[in-house]
Amino acid sequence: MATILTADHVTKEFPGARGRGLLAVRDVCLDVAESEFLCLLGASGCGKTTLLNIFAGFIQPSAGRVLLQGKPITGIEPRCGMVFQSYALFPWKTVRGNVEFGLKMKGVPPAERRQIADRFIDMVKLRGFEDRYPTELSGGMQQRVTLARILAADPEVLLMDEPFAALDAMTRQVMQEELLRIHEQSRKTTVFITHNIDEALILADRIVVLSARPGRVKAIVENDLPRPRHVAIQLTPQYSAFKAKVWQYVEEEVQKHVEADRPSTA
Amino acid sequence: MTTTNERSREFSTVSVETQLVPRQRRFHVPVALVLKVLSVLAFLALWSAATEFGWVSPIFLPSPASVASQAGKLMSTGDLWASVLASSRRVFLGFALAGAVAVPLGIVMGVWWPAKAIVDPFISLLRPLPSITWIPLSILWLGIGESQKTAIVFMGSWIYILLYTLESTKRVDPILIRAARNLGASDLAIMREVILPGALPGILAGLKVTMAISWSCVISAEMVAAQNGLGALIWFAKDWGNLPLVLVGMVGISLTVLVADALAERIEWLLLPWERHRRG
Repeated sequence: MATILTADHVTKEFPGARGRGLLAVRDVCLDVAESEFLCLLGASGCGKTTLLNIFAGFIQPSAGRVLLQGKPITGIEPRCGMVFQSYALFPWKTVRGNVEFGLKMKGVPPAERRQIADRFIDMVKLRGFEDRYPTELSGGMQQRVTLARILAADPEVLLMDEPFAALDAMTRQVMQEELLRIHEQSRKTTVFITHNIDEALILADRIVVLSARPGRVKAIVENDLPRPRHVAIQLTPQYSAFKAKVWQYVEEEVQKHVEADRPSTA
Repeated sequence: MTTTNERSREFSTVSVETQLVPRQRRFHVPVALVLKVLSVLAFLALWSAATEFGWVSPIFLPSPASVASQAGKLMSTGDLWASVLASSRRVFLGFALAGAVAVPLGIVMGVWWPAKAIVDPFISLLRPLPSITWIPLSILWLGIGESQKTAIVFMGSWIYILLYTLESTKRVDPILIRAARNLGASDLAIMREVILPGALPGILAGLKVTMAISWSCVISAEMVAAQNGLGALIWFAKDWGNLPLVLVGMVGISLTVLVADALAERIEWLLLPWERHRRG
């Protein structure tokens, strides 16, 4: 399949105190194929959010570049739509107002805007809540609105930054199931960040295991679990065997990360 | 009453929590209200007793009854309303002018740092000055007419409105600005769709606080040099040795500001539909 998004030797160093920079991401090379669901899996602090922010054009790499459909990303890139962990919904806009936002920015006329928004509100099962304000909704529902908002804006690539991390375990499972369904319908290229192995196994076509800080690509694992998938796949022996394999890659990095964070007693 | 009892018996099989919560809420407001009324009545009773039994000389504290009868007299002649109206007009003009200058300026300062750098020194110098320090200059420049009172209200209000606006503008969540840009918003759209609505609750809160300050400005201006208004009323009453009238003026100020506050509250409710369910 064709490559849509490319990270070409991307390095990001943040300026730190006393001239000592913080190296968040080092020399990451990655090709994201069109329509695939890619999970970036790594422990907290491994630079995965930094990488995603570079894909969205929120920050620029210190070295290397990111190409979207062959052209470098130089500023905030609306064709890479971001789903934020903290939802980032506009509190003064209703569900419909939020979902219509991207269309409004594109200059889509109101009637058409409404029609498209309603389709995506249906898709995330929020019909009946169109005129509610975000603070009137539960966390899971707010994240659905975010999803509908970004899908309605129709970006080329969907970037998701641990979108379900703030949800309780049960809601999270339901949302994963919804996302599976939506992705299988839309086949929208998705880069999804998580530190949760199960989430990666359930959702991804490919899993990119990132090393502890600075983030590097440690391994890329093809996920052969059959599609269409259901969260119940977690109960199969095939799943357990695969999880054990991915865990091997992750464990080492988690160990390193724990040791790096331990205060030195020299 | 019986129905309520029957109902609660009927629902007694339902868990205790689900019953207790609405019950407490149902009684919460009236009890608070009763306490408020009782507290005011007790205060009035104490005041009456103090004057009635001669604990305090009427030279220092008139009885509530004499204040009430003074208020009645003033209302029937229409003098009270004229004073309230005169002060209200001055507050409204000065406050509206201050808002018209300070809100746009505060927003510009919040989004464009050079504007902040240019205006900052003046804020630092002007802010410590109480509005009454402007009275001598304002009389020299503007005389003792309406424009002078308006100017005092303006000088006492605009900096607060500016600071609240500036702060609210800067506090708009940067994640929301980022999200809007990610959805394709231009600079102008960010201003209209994100910064203005995001700062609005804080700006309105600032306006509400400042309105009370505007009132204290107008009263002090009227006490120094005015022919009418609540401040002048109190000042003249003092000169005439009419203590009940002084108290009528003071209560008049309190009640007028309370009414203005309620109006402001209502406007806020209309302008911030997304905060309604939180305010209840």
